[in-house]
Formats: sequence, C-alpha cells, structure tokens
Amino acid sequence: MDRDLTTRVRGAVNFPLVLWATALVVYGTVMVYSATSGMSSGDALIRRHLLGIGVGLVPLVIAWAFDYKLLKSWSGPLMFVLGILLISPRIPGLGYEAGGATAWLQVFGVRLFQPSEPAKLILIAVMASLISEYKGHIDRPRDVARLMAYLGIALVLILLQPDLGTGLIFVAIALGMLLLGGLKARWFAVFALIGVIAIGAILQFGLLQDYQEDRLLVFVDPSRDPQGAGYNLAQSRIAVGSGGLTGQGLQSGTQSNLHFLPERHTDFIFAVLGEELGFLGAALLLGLYLALLIAALVVSTSSRDLYGALIAAGIISMWTFQIFENVGMTIGMMPITGIPLPFISFGSSAMVTNLAAVGMLLSVWSRRYGT
Amino acid sequence: MITFREELKSRFAALGITVLVLLAALLVRLWTMQVLAGESFAAQAENNRVRELSVSAPRGSIYDRDGRPLVTNRAALAVSIDPADAEVRSLLVRHQSSSKDDDPTRKEIQEAFGEVATMLGMSTQEVWEKVSDTRVEALRPRVIAIDVPIDTVSQLAERQTEFPSVRVDEIPVREYPNGELAAHVLGYTGEISEEGLAQADPLRGYELGDIVGKTGVEAQYESVLQGDKGWRLIEVNASGAPQRVVKEQAAVPGRDIVLTLDLEVQQVAEQALADAIDEAHRQDYPKAAAGAAVVLDVKTGGVVAMASAPTFDPTQFLGGISQAEWDALTSEGSEYPLHNRAVMGAYPAASTFKAVSGLAGLEYGITYENKTYYCAGKWTEMGEQWPKWCWKRSGHGTISFRTGVEESCDTVFYEIGYEFYKRRQEELQAFSRSMGLGAKTGIDLPGEVSGRIPDAAWKEEFNRDYPEYQMWLPGDTVNMVIGQGDMLVTPLQMAAVYAAIGNDGVTMQPHVLASVMDSEGGTARAFEPVVIADPGIDPANLAVMHRALVDVTEEGTGAGAFRGFGATVAGKTGTAEVYGKDDYAWFCAYAPAEDPQYAVAIVIEQGGHGGSTAGPAARQILAAALDLPVERVHATDQSR
Repeated sequence: MDRDLTTRVRGAVNFPLVLWATALVVYGTVMVYSATSGMSSGDALIRRHLLGIGVGLVPLVIAWAFDYKLLKSWSGPLMFVLGILLISPRIPGLGYEAGGATAWLQVFGVRLFQPSEPAKLILIAVMASLISEYKGHIDRPRDVARLMAYLGIALVLILLQPDLGTGLIFVAIALGMLLLGGLKARWFAVFALIGVIAIGAILQFGLLQDYQEDRLLVFVDPSRDPQGAGYNLAQSRIAVGSGGLTGQGLQSGTQSNLHFLPERHTDFIFAVLGEELGFLGAALLLGLYLALLIAALVVSTSSRDLYGALIAAGIISMWTFQIFENVGMTIGMMPITGIPLPFISFGSSAMVTNLAAVGMLLSVWSRRYGT
Repeated sequence: MITFREELKSRFAALGITVLVLLAALLVRLWTMQVLAGESFAAQAENNRVRELSVSAPRGSIYDRDGRPLVTNRAALAVSIDPADAEVRSLLVRHQSSSKDDDPTRKEIQEAFGEVATMLGMSTQEVWEKVSDTRVEALRPRVIAIDVPIDTVSQLAERQTEFPSVRVDEIPVREYPNGELAAHVLGYTGEISEEGLAQADPLRGYELGDIVGKTGVEAQYESVLQGDKGWRLIEVNASGAPQRVVKEQAAVPGRDIVLTLDLEVQQVAEQALADAIDEAHRQDYPKAAAGAAVVLDVKTGGVVAMASAPTFDPTQFLGGISQAEWDALTSEGSEYPLHNRAVMGAYPAASTFKAVSGLAGLEYGITYENKTYYCAGKWTEMGEQWPKWCWKRSGHGTISFRTGVEESCDTVFYEIGYEFYKRRQEELQAFSRSMGLGAKTGIDLPGEVSGRIPDAAWKEEFNRDYPEYQMWLPGDTVNMVIGQGDMLVTPLQMAAVYAAIGNDGVTMQPHVLASVMDSEGGTARAFEPVVIADPGIDPANLAVMHRALVDVTEEGTGAGAFRGFGATVAGKTGTAEVYGKDDYAWFCAYAPAEDPQYAVAIVIEQGGHGGSTAGPAARQILAAALDLPVERVHATDQSR
C-alpha cells in the first residue's frame, strides 16, 4: 500500500468508530446466542440475527460512499418518504400487527421490516437540513413553529401505529439536534412546559392504551400487580440483580433459561446480559457504548459543516436515548416501552438501521476536509 | 466556516456531558442492584425457580399388647390429577387469577375432566373441586379417588394418551385387619382440617391435604405415628413445569406403637355389648341400642379392652368420607356411633356407686360391717311428706350393712346418706373425689369428660337463675348416696374406682399406650404406671367392702350372672333411673377376688337391670380376661 493510499484510507475510516461498533455487534451476537440457546427456534433466530448484520453492511457502505451533503437539499422529498414509511403499515394488506401496534410492513404475507426504524434516520436527515438553514441560531417563533410542524407530523404518524417508544425516540432526536442547532434556552423551557401539559392531558383523557397505563402505574409502584403488569419488571429486576458482580455465566441464567424473563432476546436482552455476565459485563457494555458515542461526538465536532454535525448529533441522541431507556426499563429506572438496545437486541430492522447510522457517521467523517 | 465550530464548542460539551451523565446514572444503579443488593435478588431468583414438594412418611402401625396388628398400612391404587400437566396448569392459573372473567368455563372443565369423572363414578364438579383446591401445595398431585377398581385402572392406563394429566399411584392408606374392632380406641384418620392446621405446631410442617389422626389413639399419638416428611426441591420454569430435582431428603417413617389392649378380650367385650343389648331386647327393653365396656389392668391401669356401642367402620374415612356417610354417623337418631361412650358418656352410677358411698360411710365411722338397719320398704326419716322407697317395696326387714351391699338395699344407704347430710361436711363428695370421681382420669385418649360429683356450691351455681332450687337439701345427699340425683360418672371412671378397691385403694392412671417402638422394632419408650389417687383408705374398711362385693356375685344381686363362674368376683350391679328413658343397666367388678388383676365396668343404655343385662356381659368379658370359658348366661335381677 503506498503512502498516499494509506493516508486516504485513514482519512476515510474513523477507526475507533468502526472498532467500537464491531465490538458491540460481536457482543450482541454472543448475547442473542446465549438468550436463544434454550429455545427450540434458537438456531433459526441466530441465523436471522447474522443475516441482519450481513444485510446491514450494504446500507452502511452505501451511506459511507454517498455524499451526505446531497441530502441537504432533499428535505421535501425525504419528508414525503418519511410519511409514506410511517403510513405504510396502515395500508390494508401491508400492515402486520404485533404487540398491540401495527408496526410491521408485510408484502404477500412476508414480514419485511419495521418502517419506524429507517424512519428515525430519515427524520435525522430532514431535521438536520431544516435546522442547518438557521446557521446555529434559532429564536424566532415562526422558525420554531416550522421545525415543530415537521416533527409534529412525524410524531402524529408514529403515534397512530401506535408506537409510543419510537415517538419518544423522535422527540429525543429532535431535542439533541435543536441543542446543537442553537435553539435558545428559553424554548427548551417552553417545550418542557408543553411536555408536562401534554403528559397531564394524556393521562387525564385516557389517550394511552390500557397496557401502557399499567406500565406507567407499575413504574411508579413496582410492587403493584407482580403477577400481571408488574411481572416483566419484577422478573427483569430479579434477573439483573441476581447477576451479582460476575454473573452466572453465559447460558446459565435461570431467569432467562426457565422463561421467567419475557422478550429475553429482544427488548429485555440487557436483563439476560446482567444475569449471566453480572456487573462487569454490564459495565463493559456501557463502556463500549460510551466509546462509540465519544467517537460519534468526535465525528460531529470534526464535521466540515453544521449539517454534518447535526446528523451526527441526531444519531448520538437516538442511541443515547435508546440505551438509557432500554437499560433503564430493565432495572426500573424508566417505564417499560418496546425500544430495542442498539446493536445488542435481536431484530434485523434495528440492526440494519444502526449499521446504516454508522455508515452516515463515516460519510460525515470521510468528508470532513475539502470544500 | 471556521467560526461555526468555535460557536458550537459549548453545545458539543453539553451533548457529551448529557451522554456521560445518563450512562453514569445507569452504572450507579447497576452497582447498587447487582453488587450491593445482588444476594437479595439472587435469593428471589432462587425462590422463583425452586418449588418444594413434600414427600409424606408412612404412618406408624398400631399393635395390641401381644404384638398383634390393630392398624397397619396397605398400598391402595389412587387416581390423581397432576397439576404440572400443561392443560390442567392453564386451567388452574386462570382459576387463580384475580379476574373472574378468566375462570375456566363449565364446558372447559367438563372437557378436561368429564370423562375421567364418569369412569370413576364421580361428578365432574367433585373432581374439579379436588383439583382446584388452592390450599394444597402447587405441585402435589391431587388425589381424586382411592381404591379404584383394577379394571378402571387398566382402562385409564390403556387410554393414557387421552388423559395425560391422570396418574395412578400406589399410596399408603390405613388398613384395619380386624375390621371395626376397637374403632373408638384406635380412631380414624383424615385430611387435616383448616382449624387443625392453624392449631398445629408450625415446626411439624403440616400442610393441607396431609393425613392426620382425627380421633382416638390416631389423634392422641399423632406426633409419634406421623413421622417426618421428606422433601424434594424441584426446579420449575416460568409456567411451573418441573424441570429437574435439585435436592431431596427422604421421609422418616412414623413410629409403631403398642397398646395395652388385648385383641381377644376386646373382641369379647364388643361381642358382650352386642349380646347384652340383644338380651335387653329379649327382656322387653326394646330401646336398648348403646353401651360401653371398659376393662382395666388393676395393677397398672392399662386398658385391656374398651368398647362402645354402636360402633363405626374406620375405613369409611379413607380417601374422604362422603357427606351421606357422615350424616348417618352424626345425625340425631343415629345414637352417635363416633362417640366413645367409655370416656365421653356421663351416666348416673346408680348402685355401683354404693361401693364408694359404702366405703365413705365406713371411713367416716357412720357404719360398720355388721351394723343393723331396718328396711320397711318405705323410708320416711326426712319426714312423712318426703318418703323414699327401697327398690324392694316389701322391705328387706332387719339387715346388716354387709348384706345391704349384697342385696343393694337402698334403705341402708338412705340412712348413711342422711347421716352424711346431717354432718354437713360434704364428706361423701370429698371421699368420692379422692377416688378420682368428678375429674378426668387423664387417660391418653381425646375427648374424655369429667363427670360430676354434685355439692352445695355446684348446685347454687348450676341453678343461679332459679333461686328456689339453689339450696342443697337432704334429698340431694340421699339421692347421691345411691348413685342417683345429679351425680354423673363415665364407665372408665367406674372401672378405675373398682380397680382401686381391688388394688388396696390406690387408683392407677388408665392408659392405652404400652410402648413406642424404635425403628428397629425394639422399645423406644415404655409407659410407666402412674398413681393418680391414693386416699389412704383403712385396709380393714377395704376388706369389709371386698367381702360385701364378693357376696354380691355369690349370693346377691349378681349371683345369677356369675353362677358357675370359674373365679371369685367382687362386683356390684346397678340400675340407673334416667328421666324419660328406660333404666340403664350397670355392672362393675374386679377379679379374681383373691388377687385382683382386672376390673371391668359396663353400662347398657336403657338396658334394664344391672344383674340381668350388664352382669352376664361382665361375666363374658372377665372370662376372656381370665382365660376362662366364655359363656353367655341368662339371669334375672329386680334390684336397682
């Protein structure tokens, strides 16, 4: 390899980012393997997990090679695609209902993917292009209103599925990007006020599904209904807690293997990790996440333009919120919602989306010089 | 372009700090849960996955004094429903969930258990009630029928795939090799009741569904017979299906016990009761249906036989008694066959009490062996308006104390009783109590009653709402002295009293336990005889009473019953008057008179006269105890 090429590769590849993402994917694969080993469909599930990783490498490479700047002027068409994606499961014949929400897209009876997953990245691209127009200063009410209108459309569509978890991710993404995009502090106060009023109204008018209300009540009082709504939380707390410092060993968690843990290879996979690998395993995972997020933050700070920095900030916000919410719910710090743990949970839609996000970060990184 | 990064510096920092704070919060929480509270969560996880299943211990057997089996165990074929079966489990989970809507429907229950119920001759509802009893350990198979006919079992076995939840096991149940023999002493077993569970020593580890002794020796020596349960720790998955045995501890079988009962004497005692009731019917006492007999070892207080009529079949209680059977045993008009009349029945002692009141008279110097009385038939010492009659209305004429006992002359005892009344010391009561009357003997059987020795204080309290009846009157003592009035005794108490007269006045504690065996068949613990009353009666007075009681069976009211008997018997007849009923027949005795070994007391409710109904029965029983030929004789007695 000649010197010039080495420099070019170094310039195009953010090694820490790739390293930490790879480590997380490997860690996730080990955990999915352990969580599914006792299931009759365990082999099929692990194959599907590996397939998801393989498929995800395609958008990763495409996004990397693609000049992210081209997206900047496409906010209109992208918003249209976002709308189509979020509406698609509601189109008769295309939707597939699972877990109380019509969140899957199916064609001829074959489940394809959850449109809400790629929708998160499209929302990031749209918000980045809108916010970057204001060049780091957002204060005028009409500007704020415009941004909120776009976010609001996405939120309404996602809540129609209804997918409260992804809705919360949308809000987290927007908040992180607005922070970087220069929204004045008083607007955050206004949002906080609106948020409180909205939560009050939701509870007051019973806009939540019964199961969602139960989850909230159980979050407030974990001893409530330990055999019913509180069962998942109680069992996952027991799993994590019983892991101790070093855990019970892979495939040896009784909470997991004896089926006390619900959704153990998907939403509650962190409970399996906590039970089988203990505090050390959990700390290792959080350490890897911190390293990945720092690498992404470096990408953001290194971006040659505000647009790229915003895209990276959106991805950071998305991952941070998902990690905090998912781990938080298994240990009782957050109410239970169906949000997967990035790179770790079984689920191809999420895996492909997260790998594509890595591709977008690499795209920003590799184009940090130049004009 | 350079400027935007400078401007954003603080915002990047804010973003980074937010990330750091959130991850740190998770890490701190994980540290407290996993490292600081890890053990408590680990215990919860253990509790989650491990269920304890108890393994019942075989119950100890019961033997007579010569080691002949009275109660043993046999293997019975039991059909149970296994709650670990997936279908049953889901029905149970829904049944136990708080929401009524989840309850299994009648149709589902019918589908699950209908056919099995039909094969067992039960209703589906009966089966479901046993299966859904939530008070039983979660994993314990619910026994729904025992002693299932072998062809039903083979049908079930052939169709095992259709009934995956049905199990056929051999379980130990009580066996009674001698049928109903000694049912009242032995008692019966059954599932522990909720009250029983609440009162039981928690260390014994009883659970609902456990078989325990309910009455008799089975209840009295429950702790010895029961043994220690073993247990199995079973790992289950989230839906409760067993995965494997984690740990187990074998059960320790219950101890065998040996009773003082003699199988043969017991058989004769029960037969004698039946014969006596039969004899009463023959003598025109058609209402006779119940009675009791007790035989004691004079020297040790050991119960050699204890019978109560009518009796019951303890096998009815195996696997749970049906309501109809229970009603038949406990309803009014059933004569209460479950009642052990030997210890639970309180009767007026009638003339058998004269052995006690006569001794009292001798002890307090009111009378002596040859003191003469005049019996005119009618006795008016308390005033013409309060006449009392001797049972022999024509009168005995001039009669001594000794002959008064022999002939059971009431006039002699009216005189003695009136004298006691006039002394106003309640000495008759005190003496009766000193011989153990009016108090429980403390026999090792449940349900014993204390009887009653009436006195002035008792009468005042008893009639506290009727002031005009509160005063103790001469007639009260005069009635009591002949064993009537308000005094009540149990057959066991009278047997103990006669045993004491034959044992130099010393009353031994009656008991049914001889010894507890150890696991090798040796004796772990033997019952040591206990003296419960020794009033220090003058041997000369005892000798007077002894001679008088021998006269009774040789020349007096009991002579007919004991004519030609191969041993000398010291005994006394009794005929109790009970308001609204036919007379109750009594006989109490000890024998052989020269060296007393056995004391017997027998009462036949509404059986007529002691000498003609109870006496011949006592003869049969004593013959069996003394290894003499057991003969059924007919005798006539008109005394009271």
